[in-house]
Amino acid sequence: MSVINDTKAIVIGMWTTWKHIFRRPVTLQYPEEKRIPYPRYRARIVLTRDPDGGERCVACYLCSAACPVDCISMQSAATEEGRRYALWFRINFSRCIFCGLCAEACPTMAIQMTPDFEICNRDIMNLVYEKEDLLIDGCGKSPEYNFYHHAGIGVTQRRGAGLEEKPPVDVRSLMP
Amino acid sequence: MFDPIDIAITLGKILLVFMVIMTMAAYLVLAERKLLGYIQDRIGPNRVGPFGIWQPLADAIKLFTKEDFKPAGADKWLFYLAPAMAAIPAIMIFAVIPFGAPLTLFGRQVTMQVSDLNVGLLLFVAFSSIAVYGVALGGWASNSKYALLGSIRGLAQLISYEISMGLSLVPVVMLARSFQLSEIVGAQEGCWFIVYQPLAFIIFMISILAECKRVPFDIPEAEGEIVAGYHTEYSGMRFSLFFVGEYINIVVLGGLAATFFLGGWHGPFLPPVLWFFIKVLAVAFLFIWIRGTLPRMRYDQLMMFCWKVLTPLALLNILATAWFILLKG
Amino acid sequence: MSLQKGFMPKLIIDNIAVEVAEGVTVLEAAQSVGIHIPHFCWHPALGKAGACRVCAVKMVDGPVKGIQMSCMLPAQDGMVVSTTDQEAMAMRRQVIEWLMINHPHDCPVCDEGGECQLQDYTIAGGHGLRSYTGKKRTHINQYLGPHIEHEMNRCIQCYRCVRFYQEFAGGTDFGVMGSAGRIYYGRVEGGQLESPFSGNLVDICPTGVFTDKTARFRARYWDYDMAPSVCPHCSLGCNTVPAARYRELLKIVARRNDAVNGWFICDKGRFTNSVVNDPARPRYPLVDGRKVGWDEALDNLLLRIREFGAVHGPESLAIVGSSRLAMEAATLLYRLFAGIAAGSLCYFTLEEEADQARAAITHLNDATSASMGDVQEADLIALVDCDLLQDGPMMALAVRQAWRKGAKIFLVENDVAPEAQKGLPFEWQSVSLLSDIPIREARKPVIICGRGKGMQDVAPALTSGVKLAYLLGGPNAFGAALLSAGHGATTLAQAVASGKVKGILAVEVDIPPELLQGISFIAALDWRATAIVKAAHIVLPTTAWVEMDGTYINNEGRAQRFKKVMHPGLPIMGLDPAGHPPRRHETAPPGGEPRPAWQVVADIIERTGTERDVQPLSGQWQWLRHLDAESPGQRIWQNMKQVK
Repeated sequence: MSVINDTKAIVIGMWTTWKHIFRRPVTLQYPEEKRIPYPRYRARIVLTRDPDGGERCVACYLCSAACPVDCISMQSAATEEGRRYALWFRINFSRCIFCGLCAEACPTMAIQMTPDFEICNRDIMNLVYEKEDLLIDGCGKSPEYNFYHHAGIGVTQRRGAGLEEKPPVDVRSLMP
Repeated sequence: MFDPIDIAITLGKILLVFMVIMTMAAYLVLAERKLLGYIQDRIGPNRVGPFGIWQPLADAIKLFTKEDFKPAGADKWLFYLAPAMAAIPAIMIFAVIPFGAPLTLFGRQVTMQVSDLNVGLLLFVAFSSIAVYGVALGGWASNSKYALLGSIRGLAQLISYEISMGLSLVPVVMLARSFQLSEIVGAQEGCWFIVYQPLAFIIFMISILAECKRVPFDIPEAEGEIVAGYHTEYSGMRFSLFFVGEYINIVVLGGLAATFFLGGWHGPFLPPVLWFFIKVLAVAFLFIWIRGTLPRMRYDQLMMFCWKVLTPLALLNILATAWFILLKG
Repeated sequence: MSLQKGFMPKLIIDNIAVEVAEGVTVLEAAQSVGIHIPHFCWHPALGKAGACRVCAVKMVDGPVKGIQMSCMLPAQDGMVVSTTDQEAMAMRRQVIEWLMINHPHDCPVCDEGGECQLQDYTIAGGHGLRSYTGKKRTHINQYLGPHIEHEMNRCIQCYRCVRFYQEFAGGTDFGVMGSAGRIYYGRVEGGQLESPFSGNLVDICPTGVFTDKTARFRARYWDYDMAPSVCPHCSLGCNTVPAARYRELLKIVARRNDAVNGWFICDKGRFTNSVVNDPARPRYPLVDGRKVGWDEALDNLLLRIREFGAVHGPESLAIVGSSRLAMEAATLLYRLFAGIAAGSLCYFTLEEEADQARAAITHLNDATSASMGDVQEADLIALVDCDLLQDGPMMALAVRQAWRKGAKIFLVENDVAPEAQKGLPFEWQSVSLLSDIPIREARKPVIICGRGKGMQDVAPALTSGVKLAYLLGGPNAFGAALLSAGHGATTLAQAVASGKVKGILAVEVDIPPELLQGISFIAALDWRATAIVKAAHIVLPTTAWVEMDGTYINNEGRAQRFKKVMHPGLPIMGLDPAGHPPRRHETAPPGGEPRPAWQVVADIIERTGTERDVQPLSGQWQWLRHLDAESPGQRIWQNMKQVK
């Protein structure tokens, strides 16, 4: 009968909550007790460098396009050797929701998230990070990856000298 | 005609009752937050004082210092009046509740009751009807769709459940043969009415849960749907009047439940006043426990439950009780 | 199958019955009912090549069966086509994968990324991960001049570039070399591309082999501020889409308008962004070189005009517009002229330009005016005093299309310098007189008149059926001539020659220095840092065409609306010495003071007290207000009964 079933359901529910009253709370008293987040925790964003020390970010605008709150802005430019880089790169952490879509969108593994979540500040402008605040001296996760070695257009190496590339074609050759 | 000492005693009792109720309401808030915390494996407020015991004070300071905001287009006077309409009738009901055995002080019989009206039960029903106006006016005067929706829901709910609540009390009156609460308590000296009237008790408890607008009957202020219902637009002290009114209601209805079904202040070993408080707190605990367990009902379920289940059951219960009394002679 | 004329093959594509003209391909037939078949090598302006193999469809029933290339197959009666057939989809998916075998992995550093057809189809085809593990072929790139960046590794061999460059535009210095997987598109030696239409390689390449060097590494498609616009660099009024970002005009791409420019634009229209981004542009109202607010500048202007009137008499003030002034402001000039009781109203500076524009509005009407679309369909074209590549390069491209279809081109010899004829992308016969051309024998003859003196002789050649096109001085020369004729305006040269002009209010006009001798008061409204802006006592900055809505009437009398693309203001790049944008909040962009010229003129009129709430385009010009920028434009004769 539904009345019995319903009553039973309510009683079971009440019994469950009753048991929980006497359980040890899981709360951590945050400022005094700190929890170490996992390495893949999604907090403060950094820009990493490739193993050769060059900036990984090529300012492709994919992170700013992926960002649902439009907190990333940048201007791309070219260095003299033709390497694309971010002339300026700005993340407004007062707007950021730490969703991780930017890091997911990044094709060069440049933008990565760190477990450092304690970046609160009373002045909003202190939460607007420029490129020099974001750029770190390290590779972060995936330490071997170097985008330009796979890109297939040279830039950091001779054309045709990258991984998975043949040497350049001699267009004047008559060989089949 | 009026004995000045009587007046002084009455004033003293009013003051005492008022202070005790306000303190209880304030700490009930804390108790609820703590208890909900434990139910959810949390700690609850623990920052202000040891175990957070000054939390009600901190809340009061916060609410007092907040901006007293009135939305554009609100009906000014109704907007100001509504919170008072919600809180005051709840306190007034306590005037007729006996919270202890009559004492003899300096040769004077002092009842532990502010006023022992012979129609105490009717006064309670009347005042709980007035409290409906707080919800209705608050929602209407706010000039906000959420508030209006909340107050419409609240009106329908309060008026409906008042009927099942009133009907569930009829057997109590029939058994005690009086509307006077002290006599109802007196009639339970031997055996509590909950034993004779378990069905009426259950109907009464469910109805007062709905009268308090508490989970699972909190659809007038359903946060997930209509922000905060009829008090969406209130802030600061006016909001806290609504808020405190709700907890006063818990205390008062807990007292009434104790009076009508749980033998009032009667009980072995412990002093009567303490027994009364234990019973009130037990009812309050039950309310909080239920809040920590059950989800919110849907509006149609809520209305159907009242009109199709509780009210007919209460009527049947009256018939059964009447039949029983007739048979018994 | 019948070959008789007017036969319309009926076929069924994806269960939709389609009836098309004879010779139309299956791909176009599908497009006509809204079914998009992927394609790289096929282009509506270039036709088919059958090089990419990505437009495969399954012929379920009819004269042909099996997998076929829809761009190569003319629609025939009784065909039943499926674009969603498993076999066809698998074919298309595999073709995409083949095309991607050698394509580099460099989308993040490719400017085409985001507007790349190859990228779109690769994603659409579901080819997300590369399964080919072999090595990719690479190429050495060439320097192709300051406008175009070359990246051959990205090439998918669709032949669009070379078909456009050689066949459509008549260029000779760019072609295809090599064979099989080593096909190379480029020049024999690196160097600047010679064709004045080379910029279209950027638009036409389905991937990033050719990208716009002037906008290299600046922004992505989804971030551009874009709006339909009209090119202001000559009188043809080619349709464009300027793309701006961070208050900087980055690049301009062609917008299709079959009656005007077709699918393409010339390099002059494409690569002349610097005038908008020029740091020397007037950005603030100036009074005697001092930055002031708009109110102060306008008050000062009226005060000066009054003082000037008291000294020299108001009739010695000339209000000068130009052929680059949009219709909105141009129509207000007369009301300003009346409001301050000035002496002269000029829409043209020099006599020659005014004469030519006057000839255009006199001889052209809805029947005789030749659009560039008409030029492409002509079978005889006479060029009179034309410097096509200077005054309207796209007209040269239109003439080439007619020539490719067999039209005869005659060039009337004249005093235009012979080097102007160098590089014209078609062959012609020289004649000494217009009357030597057998115009009467042609079915669709068109005479194109340039800016030389000889065009007065055109009138005798006009007979029924002959269409005319003029190359005028500026994007709104036609409109300026209409207004000039309507208000009986003179040219500035005439007014100055009469000796009565002592002050000039110049509204977006370039005035040669010899006309400024003896002028004691100059006020200039302009968005370019011209000589007269530098000499002016009061400068009121106006917005460039990409910073406002406006209307131009092009050389054939076609009114076209252009929309605001970007906000006026100093580009963000360079605002802060630290390199990044400023770290403080402002409600208005710095340098964002410029206002549309019509608005400034309207403000001046309102301050003279003669009119209130001045709106542009009133009276007989009201119809221009409702012009749709996305439409191909409207010829004035369709909307105005009496054009004076």
